[in-house]
Formats: sequence, C-alpha cells, structure tokens
Amino acid sequence: MKELIQKLCEISGPSGYENNIREAIKKEVTPYADSIEVDPLGNLMVRKGKKTEGGLRILISAHMDEIGVIVTHVEKTGFVRFGNLGAAFPWYLPASRVLFLNGTRGVINSEPREDNTKVSTIDQSYIDVGASSPEDCPVKIGDVGVFERPFMDMGTRVASKAMDNRSSCAVLIETLRQLKKSPHELVFLFSVQEEVGIRGAVTASYAIDPDLGIAVDVTSVGDTPSAKQMEVGLGKGAAIKIRDSGMLCDPRVVRWMRETAEKASIPHQMEILRQGSTDAYVIQTSRSGVPTGAISIPCRYVHSPSEVVDVKDLESSVQLLLKLIGGPVQLK
Amino acid sequence: MIDLSTFLKEMISLPGLSGYESPVREPIARTWQPLVDELSVSKLGSLHGLRRANVKGDHHSVLIATHMDAIGLMVAGLDDGLLRVMSIGGLDLRILVGQMVTVHGKRELPGILQMIPDRLQDKSKAGSPPGITDLFIDTGLPINEVSDLVKLGDLVSFATPPQEMSGGALAGHSLDNRASVAALTLCLEEIRKFNLAWDVWAVATTQEEETLVGARTSAYEIKPDIAVVVDVTFAKGPGVTDYHTFAAGKGPTIGVGSNMHPALGKYFKTLADEMDLPYAMEYMPKSSGTDAMAIQVSEEGIPCAVLGIPLRYMHTPLEMVVLKDIQRTGRLLARFITQLETDTMEKIFGERKA
Repeated sequence: MKELIQKLCEISGPSGYENNIREAIKKEVTPYADSIEVDPLGNLMVRKGKKTEGGLRILISAHMDEIGVIVTHVEKTGFVRFGNLGAAFPWYLPASRVLFLNGTRGVINSEPREDNTKVSTIDQSYIDVGASSPEDCPVKIGDVGVFERPFMDMGTRVASKAMDNRSSCAVLIETLRQLKKSPHELVFLFSVQEEVGIRGAVTASYAIDPDLGIAVDVTSVGDTPSAKQMEVGLGKGAAIKIRDSGMLCDPRVVRWMRETAEKASIPHQMEILRQGSTDAYVIQTSRSGVPTGAISIPCRYVHSPSEVVDVKDLESSVQLLLKLIGGPVQLK
Repeated sequence: MIDLSTFLKEMISLPGLSGYESPVREPIARTWQPLVDELSVSKLGSLHGLRRANVKGDHHSVLIATHMDAIGLMVAGLDDGLLRVMSIGGLDLRILVGQMVTVHGKRELPGILQMIPDRLQDKSKAGSPPGITDLFIDTGLPINEVSDLVKLGDLVSFATPPQEMSGGALAGHSLDNRASVAALTLCLEEIRKFNLAWDVWAVATTQEEETLVGARTSAYEIKPDIAVVVDVTFAKGPGVTDYHTFAAGKGPTIGVGSNMHPALGKYFKTLADEMDLPYAMEYMPKSSGTDAMAIQVSEEGIPCAVLGIPLRYMHTPLEMVVLKDIQRTGRLLARFITQLETDTMEKIFGERKA
C-alpha cells in the first residue's frame, strides 16, 4: 500500500493537466477492470461487474488532480508571477519549491513585507526559476506546476505533497484489487478538476447515471495542537462523512455505512467538516438525484506540500468499501 | 376544507431540517393526498403531487415549488458534556444564545443554546455576536449520560412553539418556508373543482436552505415547461430600506429580475390586477435566493416565476407571517393554474417558445 501511495503521490497532475497521473492509474487498474474509458474532460472510468438481481449501479469516485500553480506573467527580470490551481493557501507558499510539467524547477518567495507577521498574498509572491529575462526563462504564460517535496515515511504515517487525493486513489485501486465478487455494476471514477470547483465529477456522474454514489477524499482533523473544533483524528479509522460545508450526505447512506462498519468491526469514525467539500456534492445533484455518501481519509495539513495520513486509515477505508460494495445494499 | 392556521401550526411544530425532511413530509403528504391524482417521493426526498390535466393528447406542465426544509443545527462534537454545533442552513447567529432547542438524540432532549458569559470571555470578543464554534448546547445531563444519548450528526431543531399573534399573524420557527407550502396547499384545494388544461406538479422540495438539490433534481425529473417558486421574502420593519422589504399583510410579491422570466412576471402582475389582489413587485437584480436558481438552469432551461410571502425575522427561531398573505398567494397560484390553456405558452412567450 505504502509503495502505491508513494508512486501515485510523486506523479505531477495539477487540475486540468491530469494526463500523467491518469496513465499511471490506468496501468494499476488494467488487470482488474472489465473496461476502461476516458471521457472528454479526462475523467478515468473503470467498470467492473454487472448488475445482478437486487444490484445497483454504484459510482465510487476519487479525484486524481492536485493543487498547483500556473504562470500568469514573466517579468523583465525573469521572475515568474503565478496564480493558483485550486486552494494553494498563501501561508504555505513562502520557500516552497515547485516542479513544472516541462521539468523546470523553481522556488517561491515574495516581495518584502512591511510587517513580517502578515502573510504575503499570492500576487505579492513569485517563482524564481533561475532566469534573468523572459527570453532565458524556461517557462511561459500558462505553464503549470505542482509543489515539490519528497515522500516521507514515518512508520504508519506518511507525508507527501499530494495525499489529497492520491491516498484515496490508492484506496480505490486497492479495493478493486481485493474485490472478489459483487452483485453490483461498479464504476470506479478517477475524476479531474476537483480542486478547481468539483468539475470532472459533474459530467462523469451525468454520463454514468448511478443509483448510488460514494466519494472518497481526504478530510481535515482536529487532533493537532490547538486545532479548530473537529472530532476526526489521524489513525482512528475510516471517516464516514455526515456532512461538510458543501453538502449533506444522504442520511440513509450514512446509516448504511455506519452499520456496515460496526457490524464488521472496521475502525471508523464519524465526520463533520466545517469547511470544504468533495465529489459527493455533485454526484448527489446529478440528474434526478443520487443518494450519496462519502468516506474520508483523515489528513493533517491539507493543501500544504506536506500532507500527512495514516496508512491504517487507508486500510480501514479499503475494508469498509469492500464490505459496502461486496453485498446487497438496503438503504433505509 | 383545510384550516390554514391548524395546518400551518402542525407543520411548524415539526423539525424536518434540510436533508432530513421526512417528519414534515408526512403531514404534507397526508394533506395533499386527496387533492392530487398521484403522490410520490423523489430520490432525494422531495414530495411530488401531480394533478393531471383533464385533456387528452399532448399538453404542457407547470411545476410549483415550495421548499419544506427548515434551518436548524447539527451536533458536531461533545465537549465536557456540552454539545458543539454546526448550522444547517444560514442561521442568524446573533439571536441564538438563550434559545430553547430540541436535541434529537436516542430520545428527544430539551436543550439551551449558550455561550461563555460576556464578562468571562476574551476582552477582544466582548460585546460581539458569537461565531458558530462559540456556541454550545446544554442539555443538563451529566457527561456520561450525554455520550450515551447524543452522537455526532444528531439534529437540533428549534423548540419555539407556534404562537398566534394579534392581527391575524402567526409566529414560530420554520415559517420559512412552510408558509409557502401552506399557500400551495390552499391552491391545490381551490383548483380541485376545476378542469385543467395543464399537468400541475406540486412539489415540496428538500435542502433549499443548503444546496437547492431537491429543486434541481425534481425539475430534472419532472421537466416542466414552466415553474413557479414560492418562498418567503423580507417584510418591512424599522431601519430597513423600502426597496429591500415588503409590507406584511399587503399581499405577495411578484419577482422581477434575471432569475425570473420577465414575461411570466408580467403575466402574474396582470392576473393580480384582474383579481384586484394586493401585491408588490420585488426587484431581485442578481439572483432570487430561491429554488428558482436551480430550476431555471435545469434541463434545457425552464422559465421561472417567483412569488414571495413577506416574513418578519427571517432565519430566526421566531419568524412571523400574516395569514392573509398566505391565502392571497394561494389564490393567485390557483388563478394562474386555472387560466392555463393549450395556447398559453405562445400567449406568454410568443412564437419563440411555441
């Protein structure tokens, strides 16, 4: 599992530019898939199984894009001005390193601040790629990059720049690998452009037209020093989402997940997230509505270049998913 | 004959928070049952009542949307025997401290919304309204019993009982938007004796206070030719501008703005004039803040009208409405429906929509 997480995290795939990560995931899932399809927006849809009696068409979605940067301007002096792809928080930017898709590397810094207790805005920041003029600058307007920071193994806990959401991609791949049989028609979706407004899952849900939706994504935690009020903690199991600021999970789906986890004694915790949302939001709103829930991977320092997850939580999530989709579903 | 006050009081005595509407859907379904030809529940819990047209062959359909969900709170954490909360829908946090609530745990528990006394809190915060994470609920129970009875995600609804006021007004929680559900119900009763040229879909939508997902998905499923959304609007009061608010007791508002089809607004205005029904035009230049936002852009686009019932103290546990405005809204809706003819689409929208 750890090797898979590392492999997926180290690939660059900012929102809208998911080619490389899509190819890598495709390679991983090919041995287990009935069919694989890439839609016009770049979503990867992996189908497995047929609907048998009492079975449903179940969509299981994890976005594969990550936050990143996009070049907006190159100054006469060769410094690169940039915008964000997704919520790259300004307080994590100073001294971060970025890797552009064309291989160029750079360091982020900012104009001097009057007051060093204040965070520089992204407009005050720039990327130094070692150039001294637009002519010798190896990137141009529109080039995109991701944050660069090596994968770090801390035991059961691991850190990387793209745990959001490659950890969930790993969960989906592992679930697909371990799945023995299911009465359902399963569609594993690796969606694009979640970080820039949950876009890929909109069109994919429309195309798939599922009876039931499950999103897998990371969530914040409340177990770090002076953390904001939140009940979720690292290592305490798969987090079953009740709601976040973008949507309310279908109460029938929440109950099904909770009871399944309890019955199978799978480590789990309940999640209420005050800020943020996932693919589940748009799956629920698709067509005439889809009962939808979400399983979350507890993650510290979300949207920083060093996001930390606990591999045990990923394993619990795989176990829970296997139980959920491995048998008949009764929503009540 | 439906007694408006009795029915509305029943509805505002029930929770039915966004995403969890079943408690209030039950009495609405029971009341609509004899008034419609078919009754069903959408995948996301919206109640669909269909009054079939009395004509054979192709005919149009109209969707009347009133959301039935209510604002409230959800238990987001247990903190030394007290409950931390997250809001469901947009709450006016300034007036929550000191309110009585019902915690829907293993059993229903009375609770009080509270925060740190002003004198004991951080000086920088003194005198200012609370944030949602400053609030907590005290059930009076000791720590160990709280964790037995209450868990994360349990709902918290306002416990304010309905109160009949002087002047034909009614006060209580969740009048946004149960007042509009009542208006639609009166309309259904009134049109019962009429033959209809259009199918009429009465819909009590879910989750308007959160994501509009009920209206969005019901509109997709029903695919009506036009939609009328009824929701509450801000009633006049001291200190607010005339153009943002509308006198309670002076009839419904007819919405005008980019969220509403101008021809439909005009059509409603003509109807109200013909009926000699008091009304006000409500200008909403950007968006209406109602289900119409989702319905308008559903499918290939659905022309919407928005009617507003003036409401005082919106998004608080004690809202107030004048019953006469609800009756007038119901009558206006009924008039609209009974006037619909085979060629009404062409009449309202011209050849373009034919």
